[in-house]
Amino acid sequence: MDFVIGTNLDRIIILLYFALVMSFGAYFGKYSKSTSDYFFGGRRFSWWLISISIVATGIGSHSFLKYSTKAYEYGFSSTMTYMNDWFFMPLFMFGWLPIIYYSKVASIPEYFQRRFNSKARFIATFMILLYMIGYVAIQLLTLATVLYKIYSIPLMSTVIIIALVTTLYTHFGGQTSVIFTDLFQGLILLFSGLLLFYLGINYLGEFSNLSGFNFFWDNLTTSQKLPLANFNSPPDFNFVGIFWQDGIAGSIGFLFMNQGLIMRFMAAKNVNEGRKAAAFNVLIILPISAIVVSNAGWIGRVISNTNPNILPLDMAPNDVFVVITNLVSSPGVFGLIIAALCAALMSTADTLVNASSAVIVNDIYRPITKNKNSDKKELNIARLASLLVKIIAVLLVPFFNNFDSIYEAHGWFHSTFTPPLVVGIFLGIFWKRFTSSAIIATFLVGGFLMILGQFYPELIKPFSHGIELRPGKGYSYIGALYNIFVCATVGIVVSFFTKPPDLKQIKGLTIFDVKDLKQIFKGSEINEKKGEKISVEWKRSNQKNEFISFSKNDMKRMKAKKGDLVYLSDSRKWLGGLKSIHSSFDKSHNEDGIVYLSSSLIEKGLFIDNKTLTAEKEM
Amino acid sequence: MNNFNLIWLPFLYLYIVGGGFFLLGLVLIIKTNAIEISKPNHFNWLLILIIGFVYYFLIHFLFIIFATGN
Repeated sequence: MDFVIGTNLDRIIILLYFALVMSFGAYFGKYSKSTSDYFFGGRRFSWWLISISIVATGIGSHSFLKYSTKAYEYGFSSTMTYMNDWFFMPLFMFGWLPIIYYSKVASIPEYFQRRFNSKARFIATFMILLYMIGYVAIQLLTLATVLYKIYSIPLMSTVIIIALVTTLYTHFGGQTSVIFTDLFQGLILLFSGLLLFYLGINYLGEFSNLSGFNFFWDNLTTSQKLPLANFNSPPDFNFVGIFWQDGIAGSIGFLFMNQGLIMRFMAAKNVNEGRKAAAFNVLIILPISAIVVSNAGWIGRVISNTNPNILPLDMAPNDVFVVITNLVSSPGVFGLIIAALCAALMSTADTLVNASSAVIVNDIYRPITKNKNSDKKELNIARLASLLVKIIAVLLVPFFNNFDSIYEAHGWFHSTFTPPLVVGIFLGIFWKRFTSSAIIATFLVGGFLMILGQFYPELIKPFSHGIELRPGKGYSYIGALYNIFVCATVGIVVSFFTKPPDLKQIKGLTIFDVKDLKQIFKGSEINEKKGEKISVEWKRSNQKNEFISFSKNDMKRMKAKKGDLVYLSDSRKWLGGLKSIHSSFDKSHNEDGIVYLSSSLIEKGLFIDNKTLTAEKEM
Repeated sequence: MNNFNLIWLPFLYLYIVGGGFFLLGLVLIIKTNAIEISKPNHFNWLLILIIGFVYYFLIHFLFIIFATGN
């Protein structure tokens, strides 16, 4: 379907939105002073900030198009993939999250180096970079496809313009800019998506005397109202295939190997805040997100069921989102909702670009230069890397444009890159016996067997659960079960035939050591006596060390000892930890309510004169 | 169309297989002391994990009941 839609007002609103996000990102760029700030935002943010910014990362621009399409075709079962992430939360919250946080790994490949060896790190680096850069390319393609219909600028020119805009603020701002622009964009996304649903329901209300919602509900068939798809048919949208591809491989992949998401959790002020962010996100935000990305398709389905002549006869399923949005919203509002689509792209792309540059610096540049670089130089390399990632992503766009649909391009991506890494991480964390040779075999032999499955679908048939084989296209989603099975089998078999790892070398890198991680992190015995949070004023000390000096009485109230870890933040909670630091207690003094800080700590914490701080003992 | 395949089989599969992964995770974190249920904060988290599972179970279950009008 070829059409141009939107008014000049919509076009202006979209342009204004781009400008607003760029200035927002540029403003927060001033908070990135080191690679730790650039990649992890200084590990200081509150759970709510992390949680809302994850919304914008999880919802990509492809989500609106992809889920609206499936919602139009199949109804409420389009929400399946947003409602099955809770199964792995115990392992994520109490296994993977403390491991990555306390072991201070800067990237997933670094975990592979420490848990296995440098060869495993090398292969993991290559696969993760391909995965992330390809993902960015798909995002660029999706948004360019939509904007092309609004501005009529050639597709590749649109791709380049979008890439330039997102590069600018990520380039200068790093993770802090990404988190704050994603907070803003996450709210815009949720608001616009729910606004679209409201407008759609109102629009439907014009067709009958019933309320819009009653008309909406009554004009969906039973199968369109069901929250889960039919068990094993049709081949391109069935429950069991999507359960294994998304509910299992996708959920583990998203929670355990998505470098962007991992970095977001590592930006939390502590592990407990990370757990809160994860729980709030999966229990509250994901169900809302499912409505946000699918509702255009549901409205379209009701219109098609009741007044089929309203929708263009030649409307392609991928165009449902844009057509329905244009239909139910007035000029200006349409621009705002498309701006939300831009928000979805930019927030997903910025996270992945920042994550890719972290991997390039940490897993390629540092090992090559043997860590002999200044922080300033690494920061410049990180910025150059984010540029390079965007250029490669732009070059990959024509490749993904060759797929029949964005849904297929995305599905191919998940099924190809996720299983070996997911199996590697999972067995690495939860099975001490898993060896370095086994992880290499999982990547190489497992990868080979996966490719074999693509060419010989009969290998996948025993796993198919009765799903019909599509001639020339093979099995789609259920291939994930076969891929996980072959990778895990190779890993387990090879582990049993190779020498077990030295337990001292993998100390702190498996779930069996989680209980000791705090002590490993602190470097001395932990003090878990529950003390008070106290308010203090700060004064500059002449000392150059990185410790903080409190009064004897204040330390008593906090039940703290010299050498314990302390978190000091601006007492304005709405800042979400933007102005804060982690440090250790120094020897005490006698001025109650006063804390002495070195100049470098004041600069790191971004503290302002006469602003009260809140102090709490961490461990 | 087979109604069992359409309505209840996906639901049962989701909560038996997915529930199996969930239970395995709970057992693993308890057995390894990754979650120390003697600590009040960790015990609360254990409750949240179980409530979260029941919460999604009920969302899917009630949605199916409303959709089928039973």
